Amino acid sequence: MKSLKKYLINKGGHFGIYGGRYVPEMLIPIMEEMEEAFYEAIKDKEFLKELDDLYKNYSGRPTPLYFCENLTKQLGGAKIYLKNEGLNHTGAHKINHCLGQALLAKKMGKKRLIAETGAGQHGLATATVAARFGLECTVYMGKRDYMRQRPNVFFMEQLGATVIPVEEGGQILRDAINAALKDLISNPEDTHYLLGTVCGPHPYPAMNTYFQKVVGEEVKKQLPVKPDYLVACTGGGSNAMGLFYDFFDDKSIKMIGVEAGGKGIKENKKKAQHAARFETGSVGVVEGFKSYFLQDEDGQIKETHSISAGLDYSGIGPQLAYLKDMKRIQFTYATDVKVLEAYKVLAKTEGIIGAMESCHAVAEVIKLAPTLPKSKTIVLNLSGRGDKDIFIVTKKLKDKKFQEFLTQHVHEK
Amino acid sequence: MKNRIMTHIVAGYPNMKECEERAIQFARSGIEFVEIQIPFSDPVADGPVIMKACEHSLKAGTKTKDCFNLMKRLSKRFKEEKLETKLLFMTYFNISHKYGLKKFCKDAKQVGAYGLIIPDIPIDEESHEGYLKECKANDLNPIQVISPITPDERLNKIGKVAKGFVYCVSRYGTTGAKSDLNPKLKTYLGKVRKYIDLPLAVGFGISNRAQINAVHKHAEIAVIGSALIESSSQQSINLFSVGFDVEEDF
Ligand SMILES: Cc1ncc(COP(=O)(O)O)c(C=O)c1O
Repeated sequence: MKSLKKYLINKGGHFGIYGGRYVPEMLIPIMEEMEEAFYEAIKDKEFLKELDDLYKNYSGRPTPLYFCENLTKQLGGAKIYLKNEGLNHTGAHKINHCLGQALLAKKMGKKRLIAETGAGQHGLATATVAARFGLECTVYMGKRDYMRQRPNVFFMEQLGATVIPVEEGGQILRDAINAALKDLISNPEDTHYLLGTVCGPHPYPAMNTYFQKVVGEEVKKQLPVKPDYLVACTGGGSNAMGLFYDFFDDKSIKMIGVEAGGKGIKENKKKAQHAARFETGSVGVVEGFKSYFLQDEDGQIKETHSISAGLDYSGIGPQLAYLKDMKRIQFTYATDVKVLEAYKVLAKTEGIIGAMESCHAVAEVIKLAPTLPKSKTIVLNLSGRGDKDIFIVTKKLKDKKFQEFLTQHVHEK
Repeated sequence: MKNRIMTHIVAGYPNMKECEERAIQFARSGIEFVEIQIPFSDPVADGPVIMKACEHSLKAGTKTKDCFNLMKRLSKRFKEEKLETKLLFMTYFNISHKYGLKKFCKDAKQVGAYGLIIPDIPIDEESHEGYLKECKANDLNPIQVISPITPDERLNKIGKVAKGFVYCVSRYGTTGAKSDLNPKLKTYLGKVRKYIDLPLAVGFGISNRAQINAVHKHAEIAVIGSALIESSSQQSINLFSVGFDVEEDF
């Protein structure tokens, strides 16, 4: 194969045996329309110029590539660089594909955006671009995520979005995706479903990869040397694809995806205590695409667990499944406990509070760096900042003083 | 057939025994087709009623092989009673994929399935999955589902591979949600017939006799899904023993 980069955004939407467009007939014309609009848009100079301007002046790109001198010293191995996507407007990389898709939706004449969200970061970014482009907005969120990411619910509502807690199933990301797909089936004409990762039916994986690739392109310009390792957490896989994409054709660069190890790689028939699809998952066709899923022997999808709502998902993007088979990306996982440790280390050594999702990548880097010589370079994608996790983290770290404050605050008239 | 109707059962809802009894009642009242849905955890094309029924059934421990056994028992019974009702499996592609598509089709035929209704395996994936090929090899009708926004060009393609009958979704949305019949039904079905020379089944949101009659003016087969699942949990067997001819509103 000549260029992996080209293949990963190919017009057919298949990546080896993965990907595809396994959706009810009702959605086929909608996906075809979107596909056509997308491949046209990325040849349109005006469109790309507008997107670039939004990246720069609205979101604050380029985000810094920061050399973690303290952490590097402390670990005593490879040099660690951190791509700080948390400094984007709305606090995570999700804004990248939201700006791209919102521009596209406008071009297609859509009046309404809908989205699923786990951590609330993608919902927040969608609500933000909806406000910016004058579009109506409905965000679906599993009831459990709705509860654990309450700050983001508040902000989405402030931005004018309607946030619907989904009561079905395990009440997490996957249930929100199902609800959003159903909304789209019911409102195919005026609505654009702004799917928030590199999952779902074609063209979503290719399209979101395209809108995220700016991350790696910036790194290439910002980094004085060629990186040896790229590390990113993987929920659906959008921040990983964003960082990795521009480097795919250079085989000497190693890439590591970090899945959610939750409470460890244990599970029963219905529920996994983790969301590490490549540890115990198998190939399936769910929510419109073929990839790896955590499922039982009948193909029923399992519930998952992770400290981070954004990685708490039973499927993974089809391009990543393909790249795993090709051995182009190596996958590992980090458990909740290790993630919290990494969160503390990053905050104390570098003064950066990372999102729980991103701290999965930090945990892997803490493990990896000391095993490598000082001449090597690691780039880690800090996909988001940690503000949104304030309630989970205070609970997990049993921060008494803050909890007292919260209780008091609630009772104050 | 006295009732050119297709009804729907979610295997294992409210339980296997009642499913079996219901299907027999349907058959005795002359219903032409009964779809048996193999429950799936992520049924994207289904509305809240069927979704809840699937969740309930899976919680109670329904396995794919139990659904095959249900159909096997029904086929045997229909044969004994000389009932002509045809049985179909409705499910999502992951269920057949995990089971092994080849084996799924072979076993479905063996337990007496007339066809399969799998809404999330569009014709475009044929070169990757060989679904139509397996159906053909096992003499199963791969029932195609189309929608009011399916363009002409696609209807033409679908017409070339469709077998048995074609399921025309009458409106936007998922299953369930009662609604008035699409006022453009006649135009819609007229367009479909230009490309597809098979009986047409119309479903989604049909819940009373008046609607069935209206459908029968334009299409051969009326599909009643969620409405029966809803009422059956309340009014149960009573309703079924009365038969469909005299029942005004399910
Ligand atoms: C900060 C952050 N990082 C990562 C993710 C995981 O998504 P993906 O794997 O698509 O980057 C999320 C999802 O909500 C997120 O909010």
